[in-house]
Amino acid sequence: MKPLIATLLIMTILKTAAQDSQATTVKTTFHRETSVSTIIKADPAIIWALLTNASDYPRWNSTVTSIQGNIALGEKIVLKSTLDAKRSFKVKEFEPTKRLAWGDGKGLRTYTLRNNGDGTVTFSMTERIGGLMFPMYAKYIPSFDASFNAFAADLKKEAELIQSKSR
Amino acid sequence: MTLDIPTLTAEFERAKGALKSYILRITANKQEAEDITQETYIRAHRNVANFKGDSSVKTWLFAIAQNIARDHLRSLKRWPEDVGDICKDAAMKDPDFFREAMTINKTSPQAQFEIREHIAFCFTCVSRSLPLEQQLSLMLKEVYEFTAKEIAEIMDTNEAMVKYYLHTGRGKMMEVFDKRCALINKEGACHQCTELNGIFNPKQNAQEEAVKIQMVRDAAKKDKEHLFDLRMTVMKEIDPFTSPAAELQLHHLEFDRKVMERHLEVA
Repeated sequence: MKPLIATLLIMTILKTAAQDSQATTVKTTFHRETSVSTIIKADPAIIWALLTNASDYPRWNSTVTSIQGNIALGEKIVLKSTLDAKRSFKVKEFEPTKRLAWGDGKGLRTYTLRNNGDGTVTFSMTERIGGLMFPMYAKYIPSFDASFNAFAADLKKEAELIQSKSR
Repeated sequence: MTLDIPTLTAEFERAKGALKSYILRITANKQEAEDITQETYIRAHRNVANFKGDSSVKTWLFAIAQNIARDHLRSLKRWPEDVGDICKDAAMKDPDFFREAMTINKTSPQAQFEIREHIAFCFTCVSRSLPLEQQLSLMLKEVYEFTAKEIAEIMDTNEAMVKYYLHTGRGKMMEVFDKRCALINKEGACHQCTELNGIFNPKQNAQEEAVKIQMVRDAAKKDKEHLFDLRMTVMKEIDPFTSPAAELQLHHLEFDRKVMERHLEVA
């Protein structure tokens, strides 16, 4: 019986980890990629609304000070966050309720929503930064892990709160 | 399900008061409220064969009205949160405003100033600072008591978006009134309802009148959600076209709209 219990325990741990993973960062000489994902019990449209309403970000997202501009394909946005005093991006991908990406010359941040068909959505966020000059400035770029964890947790909390409201 | 003309007409008459007050509250324009209400009946009459019974007739009528008003509303700039302060300054500099208002006050049977009516008037103005979809969803849900599903039909969107609009709109309005409204916050910057009471109904003690309102009595509890619900109760109780102070408040609303049009043109 003991191996069976141990197997079940390991499966439970793995499942929990997959549902709410902590941010991870993979570094190479010319790139750095940080990712996080979480399971959110909410309609994809609610999550999409939160991700694409620029002026609403500071209300629910503890990592964003402000976003100016319109989050729509081809539009320029100016993001002020706990990581960057000010950074401009162009919205490069915009597929409603599925995929959003914005980036600049140094990197690309991608948000993906996967509808699990059971009332939950797997939200993933990845930022890849780098290029030939990356080794020169890599040490000056702070870790994104804590910020990514906070972003995912804030999004999950807010989307599930809105979903739960019967009013 | 089919809808015949006599049933449509009867349903329209039942919904007409709510429809007209809703249009007034989202456009802040008395003439537009009259015109859009009339146009709604004409279009419903013309398209009665298209009614499939997927929603109530009332929801269908609101959707038609919304459709008529939508493009015009989208073309308008949103008002600032401090609309009351801006319009008060404009009124103080405009002798015609008080002259007209005092004439209405003395001659109209619908011009007895009441604080609760000003609360409803104030919400109509301040809610125009919300993004349009949030304002419309909030009005339809909190004042006209449509469900999220019905609002989605009226606004041609989905329930999830309506939930988002309601959550964000409600949260924003709670914060604005918590910060500004002296009726629920002693530190609140705006005392206009009690100031106007002194001008238009000086025999009425403002404090005595204010405490007759549940929202004011419960202010000390500091429960923002509860206070917002009570503010919405005041809204629901007042028909801006038939209330005891309707003519006076409609005059104020017309003045505020014109001031805002000029203000936003310059801004």
